[in-house]
Amino acid sequence: MNERDRSSPRLAIVVDEACTRIFDAWEQRARVTALRVNPAVYEAVAAARPGEVRRGYPLMLLGLELVADQDVETYQPAVVKEDDAC
Amino acid sequence: MLTQEENERLCQVGPDTPMGRVLRRYWTPAFQLGDLPGSDCPPIQVPLLGESFVAFRDTSGRLGFLDELCMHRGASLALGRVEDCGIRCLYHGWKYAVDGTILETPNFPGSTFKDRVKQGSYPVRESGGLGWVYLGPAGTEPPFPSFRWMAAPPAEIAISEMILDCNWMQVQEGSIDSSHVGILHLDTLAVTHPGPRAVGSFEFAGEPWDTGLAPPPSRLGFGLGWPSQDNGPKIEVEYTPFGFHYAALRDASEPGKQYVRVTAFVTPYTAFIAGTTGSVIVVPRDDTSCSLYLAAHVPGGAASGALNRGIDPSVWGPERGNRRLRIPTQDREAMASGRSFAGFRGGNRIQDAAVQMSEGRIYDRRKEHLVPADLAIIRMRRLLTDSLKLVEEGEKPLGLGEGYDFSNISGASAVIDAGARWQDLVPGNLGEPARPAVVDEVT
Repeated sequence: MNERDRSSPRLAIVVDEACTRIFDAWEQRARVTALRVNPAVYEAVAAARPGEVRRGYPLMLLGLELVADQDVETYQPAVVKEDDAC
Repeated sequence: MLTQEENERLCQVGPDTPMGRVLRRYWTPAFQLGDLPGSDCPPIQVPLLGESFVAFRDTSGRLGFLDELCMHRGASLALGRVEDCGIRCLYHGWKYAVDGTILETPNFPGSTFKDRVKQGSYPVRESGGLGWVYLGPAGTEPPFPSFRWMAAPPAEIAISEMILDCNWMQVQEGSIDSSHVGILHLDTLAVTHPGPRAVGSFEFAGEPWDTGLAPPPSRLGFGLGWPSQDNGPKIEVEYTPFGFHYAALRDASEPGKQYVRVTAFVTPYTAFIAGTTGSVIVVPRDDTSCSLYLAAHVPGGAASGALNRGIDPSVWGPERGNRRLRIPTQDREAMASGRSFAGFRGGNRIQDAAVQMSEGRIYDRRKEHLVPADLAIIRMRRLLTDSLKLVEEGEKPLGLGEGYDFSNISGASAVIDAGARWQDLVPGNLGEPARPAVVDEVT
């Protein structure tokens, strides 16, 4: 992790990057089923939505379920496409 | 969504806040010139970015924009006398020139004090029916945004202002949000272009109901109607020298065509909405209220009142002191019978203001669930929060438009061939030569 990654992630960047990737996938006529994010992002979203966590709802961003993935950089979320092995 | 810290940094506008420092690096619309109609007219108090100022026009017609409270004992200069090339505090008679120079200190005669300090004063310019000020550090003024509509004769420029009791970002996000237009504004579309439409399973006959909307839509540039039933537009965004522009692309009713609405966001206050002849300008008064200015070029004159018709004066009156919008009562009977979708009379601004203020004084963006159709909003937050970081690092914020001709900016509303380049509708936005504004175009 670089210095920026150690602080609370800037979700404004994460959401923008994720949204761009979703549109790119749609452009390729792919169906997007989930979003892989760095665990720090996952934790930031969970911290922001304690009510949804408490009710047992999945954590969602841009309408997609979040999957924590250590291999994903903080500001490079990745879309999971329908035909991807997840 | 944003973290709590990001949301606070985005929304707080005071002089000692990160966003407050960013916003002060742009020319800021502060008041209507119509509120200072002549030399030595009464001054006005101007709440802006969490501070309070006084604006006045001196004997020779020059504008002054000063800190509101007299530097002697803090009485409001908005109560003062404007006379003999200055503004005089009522309390002890201290008098100031438009540049803040202390002209007289009657209860402290003979002192050199007045020659050594000044009342806080700020650069102010008159353009497009508005007074614009620069509140940033001296010597850092960016180019002035001379938009195309500002060049119109004064009689052809229509200005209106509404004060909304909510944080300015809620209103600004609404002004660049295309996906609500074919939903929240169904009642307006039913007046401008009647016909059946649907929102999910709600079948709307689309007969005119909000009939108080007097201005012919073509006068303000709403001529094309809404040739699409697609409520889930694809959003494409491009950065520009002034911020960004984006296209909301919808399947058109006509096969093989797409309905395109291009909106330009001029950092940080202004949007050129698709298919209109002017701008929507949102300026924070403080953290929990803002002014929404609508500025439009109305060719042929008759601009006076053009933007104000159709709105009940009990909800909003254009006169100073009665510009604060109150959410009107919804007509639930009309909603239940299917004659109205939203139940608010008064057009888009009332509908927009109602939902934006309903989000609370400062919306908690931790709780929101954005979708891809919100990309323009997402990009605006990115641009503004990137500017926060740049200014904190001693750099300039984004979108200052240095070297760019702001008169080239336009929006567009058009039906074009599916797959055609929407950028060709607004070539000036990327810095290419200007061409006449695209209001309605069918190719």
